Amino acid sequence: MITTNNLTKIYGEQKALDQLNLRVNQGEIYCLLGANGAGKTTTINLLLGFIKPTSGIALIDNMSVHQNSQETKKKLAYIPENLMLYSSLTAIENLDYFSGISKKEFSKSELETFLIDAGLQKEVFNKRISTFSKGMRQKVGIAIALAKDAKALLLDEPTSGLDPKASNEFGLLLQKLCKKGVATLMATHDLFRAKEVATSIGIMKDGKLKEQFKGDKISLSKLEKVYLNTMDYKS
Amino acid sequence: MLKYNFKYELKFLLRSRWIQLLYIILLIVFGFSVFNGKQKVDKIKNTIVAAEKQVKENDIMMLKLIDSIEQGYKVSVPRWTVPTNPMAIGNYHPRVAAMKPLQLSFISTGQADLYTSYIKPTVSADDYALNFTEMTSPIQLLFGSFDLAFVIVYLIPLLIIAFSFNVFSSEKERGSLRLIASQPIQINIWLLQKLGLRFFWLSIIFISTITIILLIVSSEIFLQPRIYITLLALTLAYMFFWFVLAFIINIWVGSSANNAVALIGLWIIFVLLVPSVLNQLGNTIYPMPSRTLMINEMRAKKLEVTEKQDEILDNFLRDHPEYATNDPSQTTGFYHRYIASQKLIKEEMKPLVNTFENQLKNQQNLTRSLKWISPALIMQESLNKLAGNSTEDYENYRIQVINFAETWREYLNTFLFNNLDFSTNDYINLPKFEMIRDKFSVTSAILTLLLISISLLLPGLVFLNKDFYFDE
Repeated sequence: MITTNNLTKIYGEQKALDQLNLRVNQGEIYCLLGANGAGKTTTINLLLGFIKPTSGIALIDNMSVHQNSQETKKKLAYIPENLMLYSSLTAIENLDYFSGISKKEFSKSELETFLIDAGLQKEVFNKRISTFSKGMRQKVGIAIALAKDAKALLLDEPTSGLDPKASNEFGLLLQKLCKKGVATLMATHDLFRAKEVATSIGIMKDGKLKEQFKGDKISLSKLEKVYLNTMDYKS
Repeated sequence: MLKYNFKYELKFLLRSRWIQLLYIILLIVFGFSVFNGKQKVDKIKNTIVAAEKQVKENDIMMLKLIDSIEQGYKVSVPRWTVPTNPMAIGNYHPRVAAMKPLQLSFISTGQADLYTSYIKPTVSADDYALNFTEMTSPIQLLFGSFDLAFVIVYLIPLLIIAFSFNVFSSEKERGSLRLIASQPIQINIWLLQKLGLRFFWLSIIFISTITIILLIVSSEIFLQPRIYITLLALTLAYMFFWFVLAFIINIWVGSSANNAVALIGLWIIFVLLVPSVLNQLGNTIYPMPSRTLMINEMRAKKLEVTEKQDEILDNFLRDHPEYATNDPSQTTGFYHRYIASQKLIKEEMKPLVNTFENQLKNQQNLTRSLKWISPALIMQESLNKLAGNSTEDYENYRIQVINFAETWREYLNTFLFNNLDFSTNDYINLPKFEMIRDKFSVTSAILTLLLISISLLLPGLVFLNKDFYFDE
């Protein structure tokens, strides 16, 4: 569902992404680990079509992101580190707006169902986003993805800044989506959460994918060790 | 997408109190400016009414005196003011030549604060008093009083800038643009819709506030809906131009701060700089000759002709046999010589006066031919026209007053040179002044504004077809 073939992005003299080959199938959660500047966000930006690749190709459902921008965006949902919704609108209004501009129209009860499925409590549906915590905003982001019926989910450090409970809830939501067949690519620094939810884990450094594992084939301590070794940290 | 943008843009504008704020601001500035303009117009109207009333009262006294004289009574008034003397009528009982304000005069002061709204031409006054050489191009009038035109030309663009400078950049800076851009929509179309909706809502606010204010202050305007609709159409075309500029800047410039600086810069250029440069250009290319020179030459000419008034009168009567009768009892006095000399002065001064008038016309023509550079100029000139206070209106008035003064003199000269007394029967035939306004249309101004806006919008629309990418 999410594929990159020799995806490369060069800014001036600097290679932000170097020949990245990645594949995330339906029902998989792929966690990209790496330090700041490793190329995680660049990968997501390329998959979203926000920037042009220098070479290589990014595919969503076997369609080139840059040649079929509108079609691929119909199939994917995106949740950034800080999900900035419209603070003067309520949760249900934000959901209605983002669904509406994507040409998906829902009744109020349907919108409420998406919010419930995303784990948001009913009493906050009609509260303005300005009163929401980061965790609650991320849940609205999940509701937007649910409403969109996204086949691919791109997450850019979504659990950064969340408390453990909210982070855990978010992880459970991802697993729920995974069971529905959504292919998820999550860029994160959070090794623990990656180990908890990922079906596959990749470690990036200097724009290159250095290591790849199956999530269930590696322990948290080993993951940490490999990560630190890849980053050339001395423990 | 439009349906949802429409629904939620309105909610956003209401909740962020933009709509309420704009209503309050526009009600205050429109209210104050219309009230201000109305006060000025009322003052002009009252002045004209007072002048006409005074003429009527004087006429009653004049007719009573003539009647007494005709019945053989002796009247105790100075010899030179006895109203059977046509020159006394010509000098002491002049008519009011007024330029009455139009229905929309309150919207723009125009040249009204520079020139008189009425004149009483007499037989002995010269036409140079009517020479409006101080009349300037409409550019200078941009720095005028706080009237509705000032609010529309100056303040509305600033409100539009404040309302639209960061429509795109704020989304970018807050981070919500990334979420928007991840939806299957074209970002540039989305931006066009957002700005289009802001134009729509500001237009609604403008129309409703101006309508409320006009209903309160000048409801009679609605009896002539064409004028009201013209005012609205003109202003909306001007607002559209500023929204187009905001759209272009939103697309091509980056941060909110840069957008604001760019738009304020354009405001300075279009509203202040271009009119000022055009004004300077007019003065440089077509400099006005010295007015002092004209006055000195006029004095010298007067002195010269005064010294040979008898000779001038002979020449004048030779040229105007209709005034020369064979009546041997006809006597010639001061006024005979004066009228004849005035004619000569007028003819001799014509080339100098023409120099002034031609330079002024050249300046005005230059401004007119280049006004499309600044929509603010087009707007100011059109509002002046709607108000009936434009340069052309005053020029038209000046010409009509000069013609009327000539008619007034000619009418009374006939009495003078035929040694006829002015009688009560002649009163009804006294020339009267009624200003005839030129027909005007601001359709071309509206079309020019739209044309400028569309030609600016086109590059933006070309840009719309390109894929949107975040800054790399």
